[in-house]
Amino acid sequence: MRRIIALVAFACLLLAAVGSPAACPAKTATPTTSPNSPTSAELVEHPKQWDGETITFAGEAITQAMIRGDHAWIHVNDDAYYLKNVEEGAPLGGYNSGHAIWLPANLVRKITYYGDYTHEGDVVSVTGVFNAACGEHGGDMDIHATSLDVVAEGHEFEEPVSLEKLGAAVALVALAGLLWFANRKATHADTFGAAGNSKR
Amino acid sequence: MIIRPRREDHLVIGKYTGKVIVGVGLLMAVPLLTSVAFGEWDTAVDFLISMAVCFIFGYGAQLLSRTESDLAWSHGLVVAAGSWIWATAIGALPHFLSGHESSYLDAMFDVMSGYTTTGLYMLQDLDHISYGLNMWRHLLTYAGGQGIVVIALTFLFKGTAGAYKVYVGEGKDERLLPNVIQTARAIWLVSLVYLGVGTIALSITGLALGQNPVRAVLDGLWVFMGGWSTGGFAPQSFNTAWFHSISYELITAVIFIAGSFNFALHWAVWTGERKEIRRNVETVSFAITLTLTVLLATFWLAKSGVYPDAMALFRKSFYQLASGHTTTGFATIYSRAFVTQWGTVGMLATTVAMGIGASACSTAGGIKGIRVGIITRSFVADVRRMVAPESAVVREKYHHIRANWLDDGVVKSAMAITVAYVSMYLLSALLGALYGYPLVESLFEGVSAGSNTGLSCGVTSPFMPAVMKVAYIVFMWLGRLEFMSVFALLGYGISIVRGR
Repeated sequence: MRRIIALVAFACLLLAAVGSPAACPAKTATPTTSPNSPTSAELVEHPKQWDGETITFAGEAITQAMIRGDHAWIHVNDDAYYLKNVEEGAPLGGYNSGHAIWLPANLVRKITYYGDYTHEGDVVSVTGVFNAACGEHGGDMDIHATSLDVVAEGHEFEEPVSLEKLGAAVALVALAGLLWFANRKATHADTFGAAGNSKR
Repeated sequence: MIIRPRREDHLVIGKYTGKVIVGVGLLMAVPLLTSVAFGEWDTAVDFLISMAVCFIFGYGAQLLSRTESDLAWSHGLVVAAGSWIWATAIGALPHFLSGHESSYLDAMFDVMSGYTTTGLYMLQDLDHISYGLNMWRHLLTYAGGQGIVVIALTFLFKGTAGAYKVYVGEGKDERLLPNVIQTARAIWLVSLVYLGVGTIALSITGLALGQNPVRAVLDGLWVFMGGWSTGGFAPQSFNTAWFHSISYELITAVIFIAGSFNFALHWAVWTGERKEIRRNVETVSFAITLTLTVLLATFWLAKSGVYPDAMALFRKSFYQLASGHTTTGFATIYSRAFVTQWGTVGMLATTVAMGIGASACSTAGGIKGIRVGIITRSFVADVRRMVAPESAVVREKYHHIRANWLDDGVVKSAMAITVAYVSMYLLSALLGALYGYPLVESLFEGVSAGSNTGLSCGVTSPFMPAVMKVAYIVFMWLGRLEFMSVFALLGYGISIVRGR
């Protein structure tokens, strides 16, 4: 019983050490807010009010464009990360939020960067008609845009590996290797011991 | 009198829990390799740390718990339920270290949601996470769908007779083959074959839809994992609405409906028993309740005039309802659109579908079609008894792989679990209401968590009260393991404290 308590206590300490705030520094700055009025959240919250209206919507182009013939789909987020994302050190500010934009394919060529793990995407501004349930696209909520401007160009970045993390990884891997070896040896001894006993 | 567990009991439980956690560590090799392949070094270090912690715990537990004793029934249940808690606590490290979670509790929420194939999440800025972390999210749900204990059974348990007891403890009780290890491997065989076929189909469709090749293949793999496991995680915050394609929706619907079927049914079909699909009580029950809920939602949405034409109306209604009923959680509408466009009746129809869920011994959650079928047939039998002559003997059968008599024990067991699920759903709704959420929304979200569905109407968020996060973690865990293992773990804890 004492060994079990020791094991549980050890596991809790290990998790507390690895999962402590020091291992993952808190980002305390205020999250960025949407540049739009209406915001993406307001469009979802009051779809009837904006249905069929021409609006201007700005935000970060994310992931990639999907070109379908002479038109294309892009997705634009106006959330807390549209200028700087978490990987670059932006404070946490809730879920991603944005809208799907259907636009002529030639406009998409203006976009250089799409947001992902290693990129902050271009901030684009589109103007077009908001559809609460688009008849052309199976009832999707979307914006059919006729113009696109790049407001701010995105960029590539690389998150550096922290030396503290690397040091912790090396120490933990070494400890794990030791325990694996000790366990293997003990299992081996048990097997041989049992075989020896059965022979006797 | 409560009997205090002996030292040997602790050792057996410690040993097998250790093995399961080593299995979780081995799983992390996949996202680790993904990160290395894409040069995501910071994420790779996160996985190295997490793997090492799994091995330290797993091998440490095995070293401290040396015993030759095999598992008894109570041990199996405790190992199953306990392993899920430990696997969640340690499996949350990559999420937490990524910096995309507000707290360790949020990271644990996401991992429990993954293992239990729920699909609700707390992770923030999903659209900027690494391929490695996205692989881990989807692998969690794929592995959780098969059962993390099934993984350990397949690779790490060596022919122990007690293995079946852990397998049952994880909410599965079908033996496809005489040996439980062979059964676990059969489950993997079925899942891996579908993984190959499904990923290829989705990748080709993704390419045709204009995705770049790397993203088409990765999205194909991840969406398959999210669909087959009825997990509902998707690589982008737009979920499956990202693709804007009826072909993609159709393929994903086939995948998640197939994933929601009983593994025994898959095995029967694989071994030539195709008629089983039409005759099985679960598929019949699923077809009826899905039709009814789709009709109800469609009628309401048509009356409200939300969608511009019949095709759009049916497409949205069927996809959301089928996703909810199979407890998948894929959505082609915004979360808040359930409230702002679907309204009370649309939400209640979805809530009922989620609450019922799909098949037992599958990756799906909820009350399950077999229980709904059994309770309905039992009700019909009671009515027939009432109208039949007093001397008549009325006996009812139901078909599940073979014809089974509907005896009192079967009905009682189905009723007990159904009552447990309904109580949990009501409790979750009450909790949400106490925190100020509208009742319909808190019922929708609570049922979604308890039935391991993952559709959200906006209640779940990183800003949700911590008590609700903890409660949802427990509901997801209870729902996935179907209560008994968790009760056994609680009993074990009580017997340590109060036993003699």
